[in-house]
Amino acid sequence: MHIVWSSLIIQLIAFLILLYLLKRYAFGPLLGIMEQRRQYVAEQIANAETSKKEAEQQLEQQKQALQEARKEAYDIIEQARATSSKQADDIIQVAKSESTRLKDEAVKDIESEKNKAVAALREEVGGISVKIASKIIEKQVDEKSQEQLVNQYLKEVGSK
Amino acid sequence: MDHISPIVHVAGIEFDLAVIAMILITSILVFVLAKLAVRNISVTNPTKLQNFLEWVIEFVQNIIGTSMDLKKGRPYLILGLTLIMYIFVGDMLGLPLGIVTEVHHGATFLGMDLFLDGEEEAHIAWWKSPTADVAVTGALTIIVVLLTHIEGLRLNTKHYLKHYVEPHWLFLPLALIKEVSKPLSLALRLYGNIFAGEVMIAVILGMGVWGIPALVVWQGFSVFVGAIQAFVFCMLTMVYMSQAIVHEEHGEQH
Repeated sequence: MHIVWSSLIIQLIAFLILLYLLKRYAFGPLLGIMEQRRQYVAEQIANAETSKKEAEQQLEQQKQALQEARKEAYDIIEQARATSSKQADDIIQVAKSESTRLKDEAVKDIESEKNKAVAALREEVGGISVKIASKIIEKQVDEKSQEQLVNQYLKEVGSK
Repeated sequence: MDHISPIVHVAGIEFDLAVIAMILITSILVFVLAKLAVRNISVTNPTKLQNFLEWVIEFVQNIIGTSMDLKKGRPYLILGLTLIMYIFVGDMLGLPLGIVTEVHHGATFLGMDLFLDGEEEAHIAWWKSPTADVAVTGALTIIVVLLTHIEGLRLNTKHYLKHYVEPHWLFLPLALIKEVSKPLSLALRLYGNIFAGEVMIAVILGMGVWGIPALVVWQGFSVFVGAIQAFVFCMLTMVYMSQAIVHEEHGEQH
């Protein structure tokens, strides 16, 4: 085994130069990049966590908003229902009073018509009976006493 | 079939041209690979090569994590990365090809006399793994072991000095032997494995056509050995480092 000492010195120097060059131009930047990547990943994870939290918060808010909207809708429906039933009651009330009024009017009308008819009938019957009587007794009784007699009978009939 | 190194003498100093060339090629290759990986570097959309290099970084981080607290080991991450990439690429380079020239006495290279160790004729191997040379693995080991001692003294002074004389000062020679055997085993293990692999390839090449299946099998195995050796070197570096800078918990009273 023959040792060439100059090779040893040259290798020593060459290795130290290589070490410096690699550190300066290759491994230094690469280790920096690896460190940056580590930070980048940590950052991304943190970001993801914040986004998740935000999303959860928003979901909660939306749920609350939905709940409120539902409640409002329910209130509106309830109100509408109350209003409508009140209106229906009113309408029924009005209709009832109208019908009562109409009925009363009709009754009144009937009454007056009846009275009119009775009066007309009375006149007619009076005339007809005078004619009949005058035909039967052939003008023995004068018209004045005859009418008196008929009126007397008719009163008796009408009071019954 | 013995291959020798292309050795020249300049100003009385011995230079191994093949090893110098391979050191440069390996260093440039590692740097270009790493530089390509960080081209268009991106946080969210990494290229395939960037992903690969990040995987290597995590691999080395795991190696450090098994031997010490990752926070304490962070400064040695780039050392470990450079070691594992350099050794792996160096191990692989010697496998696919070999450049051997036959030279005679008095041959020159770029005007420099090639040293043939007194032989008239020799085969010179120009292309081989840099890690198949004991001087190269020795240099890597010196860096690692010196650094462990420096870091031990700097960060863990009391316990570092104490461990030489524990449990009694009589154990000092043992501790010293241990400190010497560490770099020796580290350097020789890597050198031995890769050098043996190259010798084996040379032997198989000597078998001619019949050696092709054996060569395929042995090269596949050498890829495995090279990867394992790179891993082991990096692993042991971190283990030695943790031994130097981390003190035992039971001796700790804050």
